[in-house]
Amino acid sequence: MLLQIGDYLAGAMIGVVTALIVRIIIWSGMDMVIAMLVGGGIGMIVSLLISFMLSPLLGIVETMVPGSLTGMYGGMLFAMRDSMAAGSRTMTAALVVGAIFGIAVTVVMKFYNHALRGTVMEAGE
Amino acid sequence: MTEAAMDVQTQNKWDRASRTYDFFATVDDRRLGSEKQKLLTKACGKTLHVAAGTGNDFKFFPAGMDIVSIDISPKMLEQARMKAAAYQGSIELREADVHNLNYPDETFDTVTTVFTFCSVPKPILGLRELYRVLKPGGQILMLEHVRSTAIGPVGIMMDLMTQLTRQFGPELNRDTVSNVQKAGFRLRRVENVYLDIVKVIEALKG
Repeated sequence: MLLQIGDYLAGAMIGVVTALIVRIIIWSGMDMVIAMLVGGGIGMIVSLLISFMLSPLLGIVETMVPGSLTGMYGGMLFAMRDSMAAGSRTMTAALVVGAIFGIAVTVVMKFYNHALRGTVMEAGE
Repeated sequence: MTEAAMDVQTQNKWDRASRTYDFFATVDDRRLGSEKQKLLTKACGKTLHVAAGTGNDFKFFPAGMDIVSIDISPKMLEQARMKAAAYQGSIELREADVHNLNYPDETFDTVTTVFTFCSVPKPILGLRELYRVLKPGGQILMLEHVRSTAIGPVGIMMDLMTQLTRQFGPELNRDTVSNVQKAGFRLRRVENVYLDIVKVIEALKG
């Protein structure tokens, strides 16, 4: 149970930190494609670092997969929004969006895990 | 095999990792321990365990087995020594490179690997070597993480992340199920343990 709660907290943390760094680095009016690439790169590095930091508490695999998705794709989305000034107006709002995105990705991955788990191939001997 | 002939880069990487390996692996044992136990219970006869690490997986083997456990890293093996001594059966630790094993053909009844073939530099070559040392009809039991194919964005993410992770640890985008078949094994069972990323792979020689 604690590990499950930890998964959601880890997703939220990665989302928040990615949104924070993206908000600091990406300025309004920045080329959207460059912003997207920079945001994705930032998210990858953030998610990798946080996943490793949390792995003694939560394990590496189940933190890293949703965390990396949150970091990479979240970083891209947050950066695109920030470059177009189309996203959250305040830093607090940007961080809340980051947290919600991280939790949402974790939820989706848990649903996927429920659907994909189990035997996929068994041959008769 | 002499130490010079081994993949020194890989050896150094895992020597460095040995310092913190247990610290990072403990919770994964809590999450995946039951899957490891379920898999390794199927080991029988003379068994080759590839990538001993610090010996974390020894406790998941049934008691009373005759196991040879190899690792490329002498520092990992140093840490594995105490856990091998605590095992109720025989575990012989050997420094070895899976690409070039110093065992005759058809030596082992079972080969086991746990999160190993994400880090073997030439996976098909390594698997062919395991095929060689297995007896006809022998089994390979693997718990491995592989590239996701069922969830497109996850697969792409794993390809990109591998560019970072291979610098200090495993590759995340291996297709180990195909590699097992390419090495000559016949698949017996494949099971998804986490998403379609962590898999149990059971295969036979011949």
